[in-house]
Amino acid sequence: MKVLNIILNGKAVTAKMGQTILELAREHDVFIPTLCDSPALEAAAMCRLCTVQVIEGKWPKYVTACNFPLRRDAEVVTDSPDVRHGRKLIIELLMARCPTSPELQRLAVDYGCDLERFTPLNDDCVICGLCTRACEAVTGRTLSLAGRGVAIHVDTAFQKASTFCIGCGACVQICPVQKIKMEDVDGERRIILHGKIASRVKLPQCTSCGKYFGPVIDLKQVMERMGEHLIPPPNATVCPECSRRNLAIKLGKRYFEQYGVFEEEGQANAG
Amino acid sequence: MSGTACACQEIECGEIEIDYSLLDKIIRYDYGGNREAMIMMMQAIQRVYRFLPEDAVKYLSQVIEVPLTKIYEVATFYASFSLEPKGKYILSVCTGTACHLRGSGGMVEHISKRMGIAPGKTTSDLKLTLETVNCVGACAVAPVVVIDEKYYPKANIATLNDFMDRLNAE
Amino acid sequence: MIEATQTAISHPEVAKITSPSGVEVFRKELQSRLDPNAPLIIVCCGTGCQAAGSAEVVDKFKQMLSGTDWNGKVIPLVKPTGCHGFCSRGPLVIIEPQDLFYQQVTVDDVEEIVNKTILNNEVIKKLQYKPANSKEVIPKASDIPYYAKQTRLVLKNIGKVDPTEINDSIVRGSYSALASVLTRMSPQQVIDEVANSKLRGRGGAGFPTGLKWESCARQEGTRYVICNADEGDPGAFMDRSLLEGDPHSVLEGMAICAYAVGSNRGYMYVRAEYPLAVKTLNIAIHQAEALGLLGENIMGTGFDFKVTISTGAGAFICGESSALMASLEGKVGRPRPKYIRSVEKGFRDSPSNLNNVETYANIPDIITNGGEWYKSFGTERSSGTKVFALTGNVYNIGLVEVPMGISLMEIVFGIGGGIPNKRALKGVQTGGPSGGCIPIPHKIPDINVGYGKLAEAGSIMGSGGMIVMDEDTCMIEVSRYFVNFLVEESCGQCTPCREGLIRMREILNRITQGEGREGDVELLTEIGNFTNNFSLCGLGTSAANPVLSTIRYFREEYDAHIRDKKCPSGVCKPLFHYDIDAETCTGCGLCKIKCPVKAITGEKKKTHVIEQALCIKCMECYKNCKFRSVKIM
Repeated sequence: MKVLNIILNGKAVTAKMGQTILELAREHDVFIPTLCDSPALEAAAMCRLCTVQVIEGKWPKYVTACNFPLRRDAEVVTDSPDVRHGRKLIIELLMARCPTSPELQRLAVDYGCDLERFTPLNDDCVICGLCTRACEAVTGRTLSLAGRGVAIHVDTAFQKASTFCIGCGACVQICPVQKIKMEDVDGERRIILHGKIASRVKLPQCTSCGKYFGPVIDLKQVMERMGEHLIPPPNATVCPECSRRNLAIKLGKRYFEQYGVFEEEGQANAG
Repeated sequence: MSGTACACQEIECGEIEIDYSLLDKIIRYDYGGNREAMIMMMQAIQRVYRFLPEDAVKYLSQVIEVPLTKIYEVATFYASFSLEPKGKYILSVCTGTACHLRGSGGMVEHISKRMGIAPGKTTSDLKLTLETVNCVGACAVAPVVVIDEKYYPKANIATLNDFMDRLNAE
Repeated sequence: MIEATQTAISHPEVAKITSPSGVEVFRKELQSRLDPNAPLIIVCCGTGCQAAGSAEVVDKFKQMLSGTDWNGKVIPLVKPTGCHGFCSRGPLVIIEPQDLFYQQVTVDDVEEIVNKTILNNEVIKKLQYKPANSKEVIPKASDIPYYAKQTRLVLKNIGKVDPTEINDSIVRGSYSALASVLTRMSPQQVIDEVANSKLRGRGGAGFPTGLKWESCARQEGTRYVICNADEGDPGAFMDRSLLEGDPHSVLEGMAICAYAVGSNRGYMYVRAEYPLAVKTLNIAIHQAEALGLLGENIMGTGFDFKVTISTGAGAFICGESSALMASLEGKVGRPRPKYIRSVEKGFRDSPSNLNNVETYANIPDIITNGGEWYKSFGTERSSGTKVFALTGNVYNIGLVEVPMGISLMEIVFGIGGGIPNKRALKGVQTGGPSGGCIPIPHKIPDINVGYGKLAEAGSIMGSGGMIVMDEDTCMIEVSRYFVNFLVEESCGQCTPCREGLIRMREILNRITQGEGREGDVELLTEIGNFTNNFSLCGLGTSAANPVLSTIRYFREEYDAHIRDKKCPSGVCKPLFHYDIDAETCTGCGLCKIKCPVKAITGEKKKTHVIEQALCIKCMECYKNCKFRSVKIM
């Protein structure tokens, strides 16, 4: 494969054909801030925080590092004053939307942001699209970016609690400003978005210990995806903890039958 | 056939009967169940009900196997779709540049004030929906008002007052 | 669809054309059937004229013609056509063969036209065109300066053909370029001819068309030919008029492109707000397929090209190529975050050639007359002609086709007839919400209209919207209008465009409300440059142009709003009031009559006074005062 000669912040390095600037920068320990990037998902280039300058021909141009594929020898500047200034504005603008995010607060200090410039918008989301893309990667049935322009927001269909959600919690895990919450109460899992319940998923009760655990549909989804590769099939009536314990007991019993040194107390604990 | 409650809370519009055989005709026959034609199917459904009833959208989702949330995303992205019932009359004021320069903004304000509805909204008696449209391409006769697909060239406050008087007398 | 079928059925005798030479044979046959001296009543049925009632005029003519005793004379034909372009004078009627031009014709005039002009060759004076500053009428359409000063290549058929009647187009040469392409040219030769013409994309960006075709042809696999008819710029209606007035030129251009790039599937993405265009196109495609000029086995050559119409659903952003293709796939029209061109990977991830309506409409003539001929129009870097939608504060509103490189002043004054109501010209906005305002004649004396020159002046060619603004236009209000438009029309996915526009709107709103602060202009410039550099798509990277260009040329207006709390143009209501100048007021009383809130008092022949507390600043007195005594203070 063709090797590209790249000047990364003044240093000569090589890159693979089609490699993104972000990948290259990470290889060389050059930090580029990101907000909407996840190694598990295709780049969306929505937050624009990773914008850098690239000179492939005569003129420098602004591109997003997360999805710009290097195809020619080029010079990349990841931290020029212009780039830093643009990032500073992005952070200031997003802080006005979502002032309580620790991630953004840290970046605001790094970039010397003036947080008084923009009047706060009462919102709790930076529209990075990670949750909707994560949802799409799992089932694509619950969250989407509804509305357009200034009205764009993460939502469920008809703003109602989704009946298609499997409660996998990917959206909760991936939210960079930690604004999507998940709670397991009263035998159901709730995903809470913009302070409203976005989905309720029933949790099965463990027949062994009585605890509620992993959502029902989640297991179905796993079985569907794994198909015949799933060995052994998950036992949907027993929680993972009990399942592990039962397996341990089973193995212990076999050991006892073979070597005759099994402690009886272990069995007494099994419910 | 089944009924569905309306998406909007403020407006009492009763139940909407969904004709599933008609939906089938649109989705399966007219557009061959092709997902790429989803926007046009939605337009066809909207032509029938003058808005997109939730149950009709759900049925569309089932037939073409596109997640409901994706259809909702499309319905809220494109300006021509409405998830709320529209009024008996639809009055759109063109707010293209030529119309804007000749005072269409003031006309929108005037109707808004007199009928007590914001642009995009419908009166509580479901008589009138006020809309704005970004240029209908009739700039020579600006400002243009379109009432139920009929163009009113060189409209002014008096044109609108005439219409609203007639409406109130109905 | 229903209409299309009916029209197709009304020509049962039509047999398919089975060879390229058959087009010429058919055209000659159609021509031989025409009587050049037969009277013809042409009624413009473009959107502007229809809005003014031209459909009723057509109906009335048809009714009159069947109810009149013709006494052996040839019964005239009534022909409804697409937009003639002279929209401000509509409804327009042209009587052939005399080329007699009647303007603002109403239903009540029809009887008189039939009885006097048609039956007795008598001209009706009151319906004739008189230029603004002249007492002499101009009887012939072709002598009217508005038409005479244009160079109509793309618009040549519009207003001459009935768009719902394919034979009418064929008589005027439609599909003969396609026929010659299919008989005597290789795909590469077609591309070379187009490249040689130096035609550049008419959708706004000005990418060389030949180069685009070339790179699409180089790709492998299924290729698509897509026509962008999502004309979203407010104040632009060139594409609409082309589709409604001469759909076959566009379809023929697409078919030629398909042949050149090796495609057999075409898509036409039309804006939902253009129902008449969709209807006309449907009929046109049906008729062309019935004749074997589109569809399968075109002209018996084995070349297939099927065109499907897809309608938008109200989203300006779908004019952006990757958003348009997403919308064609039935998805949300958000621009694709990929650094890959659609000629490589576009619709359905396949190579797709996307051009604008006007670009395709140029193609048949380039093939027929050659690239060299095309280059003889326009300038070195911008060849050919461009259609503009001339609107705003100008006498002659409508479509104007001019060679590239023409002076902007010539368009406004020579063709447009100048500024009405004795107002002065302040500037011309080109390129719609992505464009800028060119301050002719005061700050820039004039400019030659071309891609490069417009860009130098901080604007763009865009799709061809041209909005003339007079001294009563507030430039801050204009940029607020465009920013407000974009706030709603931005797809909202990327931070700089979404948040930048929200903030620019916030600042412009407060300036026009009289709450502007020192430093606001600098903040607008900072955000504007940031939005233009950091956004994802073409909409975002040009979103700040209206703001930046008005700051560049009209800084003093910003300062007047912010520092002096004054709107010098009398638009931003909190920032001005009207006063009557005691010295020039003649006490004619017109303002008193016109005032809708009775805020003006005064005796006849004495100075009138405005009661400020009652005044709603509706502009009626200002507009109507013949002595310009009402002043903006």
